[in-house]
Formats: sequence, C-alpha cells, structure tokens
Amino acid sequence: MSETILSVKNLIKTYDNGTKALKGISFDVKRGEFLVVIGLSGSGKSTLLRCMNRLHDPTSGEILFNGTDVAKIKGRAVLNIRKKIGMIFQQFNLIPRYSVLMNVLTGRLGGMSSFKSLFGLFTAEDKAQALQYLKLVGIHEKAYLRADQLSGGQQQRVAIARALTQRPDVLLADEPVASLDPATCHVVMDYLKKVNQELGITVVCNLHFLSLVRQYATRVIALKAGEVVFEGSPEDITDEWFQKIYGEGAKEVHVH
Amino acid sequence: MSTNKTFHTKPRIFDGVNALFLLLVATVVIVKPTDAQLLDLKFNAMLAALYFAIGFGLSWLISSKGTFTWGDQIFKPLHLKNPNAASWYKTLWGWQALIVLISTLVVGLIMTKFSIYELTNPDGIDGALRLFGGIFNPDWSILPRAVNNIIETIFMAFMATVLAIPFAFVLSFLSARNVMKSPMGYAVYMFLRTFFNVVRSIEALIWAIIFSVWVGIGPFAGMLALMVHSIASLAKQYSEMVESVSDGPIEGIQSTGANQLQVVWFAIVPQIILPYISFTIYRWDINVRMATIIGLVGGGGIGTLLIQYQGQAMWPQVGCIVVVIAVVVWILDQASAHIREALK
Repeated sequence: MSETILSVKNLIKTYDNGTKALKGISFDVKRGEFLVVIGLSGSGKSTLLRCMNRLHDPTSGEILFNGTDVAKIKGRAVLNIRKKIGMIFQQFNLIPRYSVLMNVLTGRLGGMSSFKSLFGLFTAEDKAQALQYLKLVGIHEKAYLRADQLSGGQQQRVAIARALTQRPDVLLADEPVASLDPATCHVVMDYLKKVNQELGITVVCNLHFLSLVRQYATRVIALKAGEVVFEGSPEDITDEWFQKIYGEGAKEVHVH
Repeated sequence: MSTNKTFHTKPRIFDGVNALFLLLVATVVIVKPTDAQLLDLKFNAMLAALYFAIGFGLSWLISSKGTFTWGDQIFKPLHLKNPNAASWYKTLWGWQALIVLISTLVVGLIMTKFSIYELTNPDGIDGALRLFGGIFNPDWSILPRAVNNIIETIFMAFMATVLAIPFAFVLSFLSARNVMKSPMGYAVYMFLRTFFNVVRSIEALIWAIIFSVWVGIGPFAGMLALMVHSIASLAKQYSEMVESVSDGPIEGIQSTGANQLQVVWFAIVPQIILPYISFTIYRWDINVRMATIIGLVGGGGIGTLLIQYQGQAMWPQVGCIVVVIAVVVWILDQASAHIREALK
C-alpha cells in the first residue's frame, strides 16, 4: 500500500468555453488502494477521471503513471495508456444492440489490429477470458442476451467485465452507482471491492453518498470547485468536514 | 416596445419585399409598360431596389412608433408580442397581409393565364376525353414490352442505390460534425456538406441529360444520374444519423484504448445500421419513381417507351404503360413501407 502507481501534480483543466474545472490538483494514488473522490456535482470529479485516461486533454500539469506523463503523450501512446487504465461510467456506456459477451470482448480492442477487429476476429482465448470475467461479476448466464435487455445493475457489471478484459492496472469508476437503486448500488460496489481485493486492481471511484464512502473506501479525497479540500481516511470525515465539502446546511443521506 | 430597442432586420426585409411587390404591381397597372420596357432589367432592378428601400424605411418608421407590421408579427420573438392584441382586422398588419395575399393571388391568375374559357372549351374537352378514353382502354398487346422495360427501370434504380451505398457510407462519416472535430476535419465537413447540397439541388433529370451526352442515351446514363443524386441524398441522411448517435458508447469504446476506426465500427455503426438500411430501401423506392421520369429524357427503361408512344399520341399503349408503372410503384411502396416498419 505504499508504492505510488499514479501521481497527479498541479493538474489544471480549463474548457474551451472558459470553465475552470480543475484548478491545480495534486494527489497520489497508491497501488492496490480503493480511492474515492467525493464532491458536489460540478466540483470537477468527472473531469479529473477523464483527464487521467485522456478522454479529456488536461490544460497543464502532470499525471505520472508507471513513469510516463499521461498528460503529455500523443497518438498511439494515449491508446496504450487507456488500455492500462480501465473505466466504467454512470450510464454504463455499453453497445445496446450487441450481446453481453460482445460488449465484454470490446475490452480487447486496444490490443487488436484494425483489420481483425473489423471482422470481429476475437480469439478463443479472448472469449474464454471474457466469460471468466463475466463469471467473476456473476452474470455469465446472460452472456448471449442483448445488453439493453439487462437491468441497470447488470449492465454496470457487464461494464466492469469489459474493463477487466483490458487487464488494467487501474480502474476508474465515474459515479458507477449514481443511476442505480440503493439495493443494486451495494451489489455493484461489492463487485468493485472484489475486483480491488482479489485481482489487486487499483480503483479510483467518484461517489456521491458518504455512507458508501465509509463502507468501501480505503482513502478519500474531496474536491470543491476544482480544488482538493480534503485528503485522508474515510473515518476522518467529521460533520465539520462534511459541511465544508458540501456547503453549509447540507445533510447526509444514508444508503442502506 | 420601449423596453427593447434592438433593431430587427428580418421584419424590415419582409416588409420591404411586400412593398417592392405591391408598388411594382401598381406601376405595371398604371404605366402599362411595353415589352421593351419589361425587358429592361437594369432599370427595373433599380426601380425594385428603390421600392424595397421605401418599404424598408416605412416599416422601420411604423415599427419604431410601436405599431406592428406583418413582418413584426411573423418574426418578432413571442415575448415581444402584445398578449391582448386587437382582432386582426383592427390592426395594420392584418390589412397588410390581406392586401398582399389578395394581390398575389390576382397576379398569379393573370401570370398563369388562368382561363375558365379554355378549361371548358368543347374542342379541348373532346381531345382530353379521347386521351382518357385511350388510357382507360389499355392496349395489352404491348404488355410484354412494358414489363421488360420496367424490369430495366427497377434494375436501374437498384444499381444506382447499391452503387451509391459505399460512397455515401464513407462520406457520411466525413460529413458528420461529431466525427470531424479537428479544424481540418471541420473544413472537410463544410466542403462536403456544401457539395452535397449543390449536387442535390441539381435535379436527377439534369444529371441524366449530362450523362446521356457523356456515355450515350440509355439505361447506363439513367443509372449514373440516379447514382449521383442518391450518393448526395444518402450521404446527407446518413450523416445526420451519425450526428444523432449518443456519446456514451463512444466514450465506452474509447476508454478501452480502441483506435478511431474501431470506435466508429463498434460504437457508432451499431447505433446507425438500422436507420441506414431503412433510408436505403426508401431511396430505392424513390429511385424507381425517378427512373421512370428519367427515361423521358433518354435514360432508358419504361420512361423511354412511354415518351415514344406519347409522342405518337398512341393513348391505349400509354394507358398500358401507366398501369404497369402504377402497379410496380404501388408494390414497391408497400414493400418498402413494411420492411422499414419491421426494422424500427
């Protein structure tokens, strides 16, 4: 838990329309930890994650990952980094018309030639592995259903399996349970925990609910208006800190 | 209207054109110009510009006093309109609209030489009855030839559609804004969009004339004409589909480290494939109808046969061809409607 896998230094992101989403953020991610990022909507959480795998281009700053500055690389190097940093999304972002298995297999695209992928020539090994990851998230019996026939929670598990087939070192999760009901919420979070503990994949997860943070996070950072305002263990978030992060008069909502 | 001092151009232009029209009509009625005067484009254009300027200025003056012109009524944003306005016949804009519409109708009747006398002329009616008599008593002896020719027409339309698909498919991504995001890409996007609009605004009939000079009269020229038109139409429709895809799957596939081509193939294509097929079948349907017309200028197929018999006033034969066209168009229309419904 001591080795640093990702190191963000003075990261700034200003959108073309002038919005300053990130105003110089610095923090380290330790190998194997379950780091949760909290903050209000618009505090820059999503932008931060999208900069870390270069779905967005940072304006300035450094993101050191395995000795590479992710913020500076271009072209193919970006694709290689994305392969090593998996991501799941609030809206799952599956291909609705494709089967569950096909969706999971798209996690292999990063390592394939364009020609092979155009004809869908995934190897038997790829398929076996995809099924194995589907089993890990407990959804292998749905492998041949269309993705849009699944419930939200099931779709998010498929998305986790897709990210796992990339064999990533780090898994970014952008509000993975924000569009799920409370019961399903815990199922998905439990699988993320399993991925973190059994496969040793480092997880960086954006969350809304503080009760989930206390249950799953090994460490927490809090963003407010594009700046880090708290860094520490989940137990350290006192009522006083909570008010600071979420604003005066905010009340905690519990998810059971 | 004192709260909003913004100068609105569109209502002024609209009223200007109104005045231009009314004053020109008045001039023609009063002056009764000769043919030579009517053909003096330079002088007439200057007169028109003057009338337009008068209308523009007048409209501005009236509007600035707070009275609504017809232009204001049409173009002003809703929040600027008076919620408890008077009935239309108590307003300036109401009378302006009435006068413009009535005078347009009168001018239109004169321009198209509308004549109840010609419509009810017994000689003319006799001719029309002869024609209808022929058409409604089709000469079925030419049916085999008509069937052969309509098959040619159907294949012209089919080939034009099929050959247009690969071009339109590739071009549709190059002319979709969400794919062409870079400045260079935007230039390509703008160029292609403009190009498609120009190509589409040239009727397939004109393309058929061009190609019949190029490759000779016949079905090949007709097919090429339909193909060019289809590429432009399909590419535009396809690219609008590409622009309406949801971003989620694109981000999802991008996050796996897939390259741009893989993102298009796995995230965009699955979202658009069914509407693509639907548009394409509809295009084939349209092409069959257009192929009939194109035959009239030497594009081959049933249209060529039709123009031959029509030229010789052989109405029973024309009747047979019309029946064949109607049946085939109806069948294809039904078939394509059912297939498109099933694909939804």
